[in-house]
Amino acid sequence: MGRASRGRAPAAGLVLVAILLAPVQAEIKSGTEFLSPELQRQQADEARNPAFFWVEQGRELFSRKPTPDAQACITCHAEPQQSLRGTATRYPQVDAASGRLLNLEGRIEQCRVERQGQPPFGYETPELLSLTAYVASLSRGLPLDVRTDGPAKPFYEAGKTLFERRQGQLNLSCTQCHDGLVGQKLRGDTISQGVGTAFPAYRLEWNDVGSLHRRLRACSLGVRATQFDYGAPEYLALELYLAARAKGLPVETPGIRR
Amino acid sequence: MSSAISPRSGRRDQGPDRRCLVTGAAVGLVAAALPRLAAAEVAPDLAELVARVTEGAAPERGRITLDIPPLVENGNSVDTRIRVESPMTEADHVRWIHLIAEKNPFPDMARFILSPRAGRAEVATTLRLAQSQKVAAVAALSDGRFVMADANVVVTLSACIDGG
Amino acid sequence: MSFNARITMPAEARAGEIVEIKVLTRHPMDRGGQSDGKGGTVPRKILNRLTVTYAGEPVFRFDMHTGVSANPFVSFTTKAVATGDLLFEWREDGGATFTRTARLTVT
Repeated sequence: MGRASRGRAPAAGLVLVAILLAPVQAEIKSGTEFLSPELQRQQADEARNPAFFWVEQGRELFSRKPTPDAQACITCHAEPQQSLRGTATRYPQVDAASGRLLNLEGRIEQCRVERQGQPPFGYETPELLSLTAYVASLSRGLPLDVRTDGPAKPFYEAGKTLFERRQGQLNLSCTQCHDGLVGQKLRGDTISQGVGTAFPAYRLEWNDVGSLHRRLRACSLGVRATQFDYGAPEYLALELYLAARAKGLPVETPGIRR
Repeated sequence: MSSAISPRSGRRDQGPDRRCLVTGAAVGLVAAALPRLAAAEVAPDLAELVARVTEGAAPERGRITLDIPPLVENGNSVDTRIRVESPMTEADHVRWIHLIAEKNPFPDMARFILSPRAGRAEVATTLRLAQSQKVAAVAALSDGRFVMADANVVVTLSACIDGG
Repeated sequence: MSFNARITMPAEARAGEIVEIKVLTRHPMDRGGQSDGKGGTVPRKILNRLTVTYAGEPVFRFDMHTGVSANPFVSFTTKAVATGDLLFEWREDGGATFTRTARLTVT
């Protein structure tokens, strides 16, 4: 390396530091802000947003006994509009009894197995998606407020590490695009900040409602990285980190996404 | 009511048949006779698809509005609205509105069948577009004439595809 | 629950008033043609027709092909004439039908 280039190094270093610091300070915005005005209107309109069919199905499942001698969700959670309002803003959270990190899907499955005595629905089944969408929709408009301290801290740290770690054949980390290139184009898509406040969401790409983990699996595939299973500890930790980044943003389930 | 979308209106894989040559000639004659009509601007492929639903008649431009975004983020669901200026009376109304996408695997997308009881000739739906292409709306009027409008739509490719 | 529908329209209208009716449908609108994993292809399975009658009289029909999106939306208008039910009937490939009704009160 010649003298001249060595002399420029500090300045280049400063620029690099500025680039690395800038995204961290950027305000986190909902994925809705990266949609076209038409899709934003559709998302808000019950006459247009197909995801409300899943909410409706979830509402029915919530009140229905799974078997004649089992209890319905609503038996314990009476008046869910009040009793479960705000619940979704606190997920993922650490389950006190088991010490495991549970997202809303995980908590619903736990209830189904332990309290209703039923076999689990299974991740990404229409039933679990519907119930999750319904319960999350009861917190629409309320700000996300997950805990990242105490028992949640190691999970939060693991999620942050995964977000910042380069992975896959493309050797990309989440942060490189979702902090560094926000608002720019990736083919026809606009790069967002990876906020999951609208999930389960109706994705045009899917023609269907899917979970946040289904979306994350598509991200993993996109960078040619290992796709973890639905409900895997890696995605749960990442979900917590994403929710912590989005702290204060309103729950928008059921959303529409591209 | 007859079926809107007959097997015959599917994409033709063979060479031009007699019917198409006849309708093509008819379109050419009408275009020559009425130079102010924009039929000549229509790509031959689309003109042929249009002629198939109008049974050879050349539709006029005007009176019909096709409201479809010029750039869509995902071709799986494209908001489309069609309006025809019509009093919608027994004597003067829109019988049907037909939608064509020239490059879809099956170009005939849908048909709305209306009656004077609609009060207004205005309909909307969500379409599936396989790729960037021209979309046409053809309306059949009660006096036997046809009107049409078309629009170019660019369908962008998604980066964040799902492996299933 | 592969089929469901949400019909949005005013419950009341004055005689002669033109009302807009919005219909959102839950249906995969499967185009068919994909591999079924057993050497064959999946058959097409879409809603191919929506017929609407108002107090028994046909007022609207929507013929759909594969160019209509999954979970399709359609809107149209009708003139309020008398209090009565609007009957919506969908026909699916294979012959299954689904129906919904909505009442329009004319004042």
